Amino acid sequence: QIGKPTGEKYTISEITVSGSSSFSEQTIVTYSGLRKGSEILIPGDEISEAIKKLWKSGLFSDIEIYIKDVHDGVASLEIHLYDLPELSDLKITGVKKGKFEEIIEENNLNEGVKVTENLITTTKNYLESKYRKEGFYTTKVNVNVIPVNDTLDKPYVNMVVAIDKGEKVKIKDINFIGNEVLSDRTLLGSMKNTKEKMFVRVWKRSKFIEDDYKTDLVSVIDTYKENGYRDARIVSDSIFVNNDKTISININVEEGEQYTFGEIDFIGNTVYTDQYLNAILRVRKGDTYNGVLLEKGIADETRPDGQDITNLYQNNGYLFSTINSVETNADGRVIDMEIRISEGKPVHFNEVSVVGNDKTNDHVIYRELRTRPGELYSKENVVRTVRELSQLGFFDAEQLTPNFNNPNPNEGTIDMEYEVVETGSSQIELQGGYGGGGFIGTLGLSFNNFSLRNLFNLESYKPLPMGDGQKLSLRLQASQFYRTYSFSFSEPWMGGKKPVQFSTSISYSNQFLYDSSTGEADTDRRFNILGVTVGLAKRLSVPDDFFTLSQAVSFQHYNLKNYSTGLFTFADGYSNSLAYTIGLTRNNTWNDPVFPLGGSNFSVSAKLSLPYSLWNGVDYEALEIERSEEEAIYNDPDASAAAQNSAYTRMGEIDQERFNWLEFYKVKFKGEWYTSIIGKLVLKPTIELGYLGAYNQARGVIPFERFYLGGDGLGSYSLDGREAIALRGYPNQSIQPVDTNGNTTDDGAAIYNKFSLELRYPITLAASAKIYALTFVEGGAAFNTFRDYNPFQLKRSAGVGLRVFMPAFGLLGIDFGYGFDPLPGQTEPNGWETHFIIGQQF
Amino acid sequence: CSEYQKTLKATDIGPKFKLGEELYNEGEYSKANRLFSQIVPSYRGKPQAEKLMYMYAQTQYGMKNYIASSYQFERFADSYPKSEKLEEASFLSAKSYYMRSPVFSKDQTETKVAIEKLQLFINQFPKSEYLTEASGYIQELDGKLERKAYEIAKQYNTISDYKASIKSFDNFLFAFPGSSLREDAMFYKLDASYKLAMNSVERKKQERLESAEQYYKDLMTGFTETQYVDQASKMHEDIVEELKNYSTKS
Repeated sequence: QIGKPTGEKYTISEITVSGSSSFSEQTIVTYSGLRKGSEILIPGDEISEAIKKLWKSGLFSDIEIYIKDVHDGVASLEIHLYDLPELSDLKITGVKKGKFEEIIEENNLNEGVKVTENLITTTKNYLESKYRKEGFYTTKVNVNVIPVNDTLDKPYVNMVVAIDKGEKVKIKDINFIGNEVLSDRTLLGSMKNTKEKMFVRVWKRSKFIEDDYKTDLVSVIDTYKENGYRDARIVSDSIFVNNDKTISININVEEGEQYTFGEIDFIGNTVYTDQYLNAILRVRKGDTYNGVLLEKGIADETRPDGQDITNLYQNNGYLFSTINSVETNADGRVIDMEIRISEGKPVHFNEVSVVGNDKTNDHVIYRELRTRPGELYSKENVVRTVRELSQLGFFDAEQLTPNFNNPNPNEGTIDMEYEVVETGSSQIELQGGYGGGGFIGTLGLSFNNFSLRNLFNLESYKPLPMGDGQKLSLRLQASQFYRTYSFSFSEPWMGGKKPVQFSTSISYSNQFLYDSSTGEADTDRRFNILGVTVGLAKRLSVPDDFFTLSQAVSFQHYNLKNYSTGLFTFADGYSNSLAYTIGLTRNNTWNDPVFPLGGSNFSVSAKLSLPYSLWNGVDYEALEIERSEEEAIYNDPDASAAAQNSAYTRMGEIDQERFNWLEFYKVKFKGEWYTSIIGKLVLKPTIELGYLGAYNQARGVIPFERFYLGGDGLGSYSLDGREAIALRGYPNQSIQPVDTNGNTTDDGAAIYNKFSLELRYPITLAASAKIYALTFVEGGAAFNTFRDYNPFQLKRSAGVGLRVFMPAFGLLGIDFGYGFDPLPGQTEPNGWETHFIIGQQF
Repeated sequence: CSEYQKTLKATDIGPKFKLGEELYNEGEYSKANRLFSQIVPSYRGKPQAEKLMYMYAQTQYGMKNYIASSYQFERFADSYPKSEKLEEASFLSAKSYYMRSPVFSKDQTETKVAIEKLQLFINQFPKSEYLTEASGYIQELDGKLERKAYEIAKQYNTISDYKASIKSFDNFLFAFPGSSLREDAMFYKLDASYKLAMNSVERKKQERLESAEQYYKDLMTGFTETQYVDQASKMHEDIVEELKNYSTKS
């Protein structure tokens, strides 16, 4: 192409363009980067650079640059090129119309795309392998390109993609020949993905897929290896095509002899003794030879966290260790083994870094790392760090990756880098709507990665001060009948020295009674609640470091003015609750907190008040007797109205005396397990128990702090310490205890239990939205006293539901539940209920 | 304003160029940017494109849209290597990368890229009028990387992981030999090793005390008039006192 290989300097006098292009000459010349009047070397970089640039545009083919004329240090150039043809019309044959879009999408065969050789070949290969994987073993794909002649400016081509899928190949039968020790059934069973055609089989189809078939042949040999037939091999396998478009497979096996293990020697081990390694290997002298078990003892490919020799070394710093098993002797069907171990140096972490945290500050992340500079390498700790970082909720669990850099076997060091991708972790809730007889407005803000110290640093508002791992939430809710204000804040590492979580919350609510004469709220009759809680939670290291011990002190002040409901017998008065809560939780669920695949989560807690009645000198027994006397008068139809009124007033006084400072204890237990059944199909059983008791039986169980079973379990507006326990298939808070006389109260329960079994399957676990479907069976029961308690008198239900988790909105969900049992006081089964779940995170 | 709206909705590219240029000269970057972004594809390959692309990049820069401006200036420098604006565009591209660098306590990938880009600019234009500014930025960015490594090492000390702290300070001192935080790093390394030794199991105590003593000496020879002299000498006294237990035994 280049005329004279002189490498001299020339001035470009002229650049012309030849060939065929719809672009103007000027455009092509400008694009090439060459300029009239500029000096270039010939031969030299400028010209090859220009060709490269034109190539890179992806618009031209056959690009060449000629020197037309050279004299007196002046050269004129000619750029010769053709436009690549564009795709005009695409025809696909051999598959249904519905598939066209998919094929166009996956191969980028849109109109106007430049047709290159590469595009044609990749399309052909892609489609052939796609259909082969679906069982169309004989698929042939032809891609034809036909130039369109009648075009004016640009060259166009039409493309025909002819797909001949052929027949789907089904397997009629698989015959084993030469097998004596192992039955046909055993061998067929070991072929996991290649199956005979069978009428009853629903799950696995009897398609023939070559890749699967080859893996399955290996499984057949593995089955022999597991049974001591070390020499077993497949002599030949042949596939016959039958007349009815099916195939038959004949597999010829040679079983060989059965072997046993002989001596097993460990060589090269200095850190662990032979006995110790042997215990992990689980192979003894005299055992039937089992190649698969042997491999699993050395390195279990199927379980990355399994108990094997490789992991033993990997979890204790020996990153560069290699373990090989060698058969040293196979006389008389006894195999002597040598496990050759090259331990290498124990490896310590050198640099440990985190990248990708463009919102969260370093100190929030580094304190959570379990692999730190100078520490011994441990695979287990790496895995655990990944899990715990994703549980912070600031990063996308699916994209969190540990990278190993600069491994140095001589020095025994390695660098570690955790790559994180931030997700939105703030949620905003703004609602308005009609309900409960009037307008209800809610404003909820929750920031899960807040930075308090940057509150007054305007520059950090992007859009809010973020990145210190603190949680701040504010919630205001108001309607005609009630108003609640709540604020909470928590810091996971108080003082930054130890993982002691500090949390505090303040809430205030007031409620008004409904005035039936005006239909509006009666602001003279109110119930105010003020609550303050301060708590500390500490991660424990004993018995293992999944445990958290939490303690909290809480104070509530209840103030009633002319407010009477079934709950309280004193309409005017107050009540104080000062309580200490101690809780122990153990959470080792993994990996994604929104959709755990495994692990369990237990919590047990006790909330206690002081036993005031021990020293305050009030004779509660006398009060109890007096109260029942007054109650008898109040309920006596023969008593005068004045006597009833005075009895009722006295009952209120007594109740005020009993509940001026709430005296109670409350014990709760909750356990949930996550087990993956197949892949990401997860089973989640849950058990919950709760008990509210009194130290002094005469003083009685308090009317606050009770359990309200039924419905979606979302917190009710009332802050009287009640706990809403979800039980789907029944209306909210509908499962009230029934006493021995068959009377129902609506004051909540003192005892409850609940069992639930949920099956979950993820539809997508993408960072932008995680969606999963679930089906459940559950049952719960609520009682007032231990006398009535019967854990199996359950209200049962079953149903299905869907959950959607989006970082900005939190969890949204809907459940349809069918209640099999009648509600208290009714006789018919409750039937279908629809529940909406908002914001309950997990 | 109405003229602007009209031009914005019109299809002719000529008037958009003209009005855009006027707005650009008046410093109305975001308005000019909207016009330019409409016509950039149409001008591709045309002679006016050089000026347009330059102004387009400038508007992005003026709007503090540094992700776009770093890219646009870079592209301009690639496409028009003979332009008289080449040096300025290359600098502004590198400076845009500098502007993208976040606070030290977050991911510093952008910072490293910015240092690279600024260094590239300095290598390419060693006599540039922007040289002092560029090298000033590099220093500032280097400072961020130092501060990050230092704070991480110090945090390990705060959360009582003294071994990780010592190792991290070692890495820090090795990686940033000229750092202004060197004195602080040496002191906190001594602090961590002192605490490690004092709380040590008996078996490793002597060894740890000895290395703590060595770190004290390193600090005192490196910085004879260290601001930490009081704390450091106090630690040293304790170390010497404890070490006596071992010398008498042997």
